[in-house]
Amino acid sequence: MNEMELLRELAQETPLPAPAELDAARARLAAAIATDPDPDAAAAAEVAPHQLFPSAGQPVGPLLPPAPAPVLTAGTFMRGGAITSAAYLIAALPFIDDVKGSVLGHRLTAGPLTITLVILAGLAVVALWLWMARATSQGQGWARTLCCVLFGLATLELVGTHGLALAAAVLTWLSGLAAVWLLWRPASRAFFKSAKEARSIAARSEVSRSEQTR
Amino acid sequence: MRRGRGSAADDDAAVIESSRREPERFAVLFDRHAPHIYRYLARRADRQVADDLVAETFLAAFAKRDRYDLGHADARPWLYGIATNLVNQHRRDEVRQYRIRQAVPAEPEEPGHAERVAADVTAQAMRTLLTEALTALPASDRDVLLLIAWEQLTYQEVARALAIPVGTVQSRLHRARTKVRQILAGTDAGATYEELTTNE
Repeated sequence: MNEMELLRELAQETPLPAPAELDAARARLAAAIATDPDPDAAAAAEVAPHQLFPSAGQPVGPLLPPAPAPVLTAGTFMRGGAITSAAYLIAALPFIDDVKGSVLGHRLTAGPLTITLVILAGLAVVALWLWMARATSQGQGWARTLCCVLFGLATLELVGTHGLALAAAVLTWLSGLAAVWLLWRPASRAFFKSAKEARSIAARSEVSRSEQTR
Repeated sequence: MRRGRGSAADDDAAVIESSRREPERFAVLFDRHAPHIYRYLARRADRQVADDLVAETFLAAFAKRDRYDLGHADARPWLYGIATNLVNQHRRDEVRQYRIRQAVPAEPEEPGHAERVAADVTAQAMRTLLTEALTALPASDRDVLLLIAWEQLTYQEVARALAIPVGTVQSRLHRARTKVRQILAGTDAGATYEELTTNE
């Protein structure tokens, strides 16, 4: 066995990719094809990537690349965070009369307004989790940034929390940690990058179409 | 990875030519070659880097398709050339990939405990030496060596891919092989290599 054969043996360790592993690259090429400046390419602008790539495993939707596994898993963690927050809200309802504390120096008492505000805040947290899960799966970069900011705030929330609230805070914090980590994996970064490119291309096409119709 | 195609009408040059009028035809070239280009990039960098570089390769090829020499029916050397240029811009990822290979043992395949352990030790020693040797090569020599050893391109195809004369391909390959051989044979673990080469 000579060095060339040894090298070939080393190369055997890397298999061919599964079709889904090429989805992000396929979508980026499809976006480039769709906006090719060639005058004959006008019709191609209306062609969706999955029509360009009939051999692809799954349709990828108009110009947007499909979300890779880490982003989808991050979405699952965020929905898990929503469920935990909702469960905590339900579990805390019987004790809501005990709500005491202070916000921005104002003393809180368990009046109807306070109770309403606490419930609304709890529902807003649940809605926020679900909204971020949806937005990140669509490749919205700002949603990923917002997720990181809220994770930072959730870390602060851990301090000075006790009992059931602490358990819920730890669970949601762990969901947030997993989601943030997954959203910054290389495959996720490539997805957000290509989604941004696809959006800017679509925006440019929209502008040129509206200029043509004028 | 040699492919025999039925007719000239669907060879790569014909696809590229038609993609100048109908850009969506370029997708055929992607479906045909992207898995192999991806694997080449994953071998040299890693899978995450390959995700990005395979897209960059085909975007660059698409942008440059008007300059493709239609006299060449097979576009693989052209694509490998673009991919090689891109991977050379990610040297640190490439070196890191070789180091990971040194650190991570391959999956054992041989049955039987004693044989398996011996085979694993030998394989691991060889992997370490090989990856060390690849890291030590100049990039231009490594490009030639890997395109021939891993992607099984011919001298002429490598010459096209890297835009160098065939004679340069031969001299770079000779230099790279000599250096790899020296590194493999010049260490204690290189005894394994000596055994392997003498048992041929």
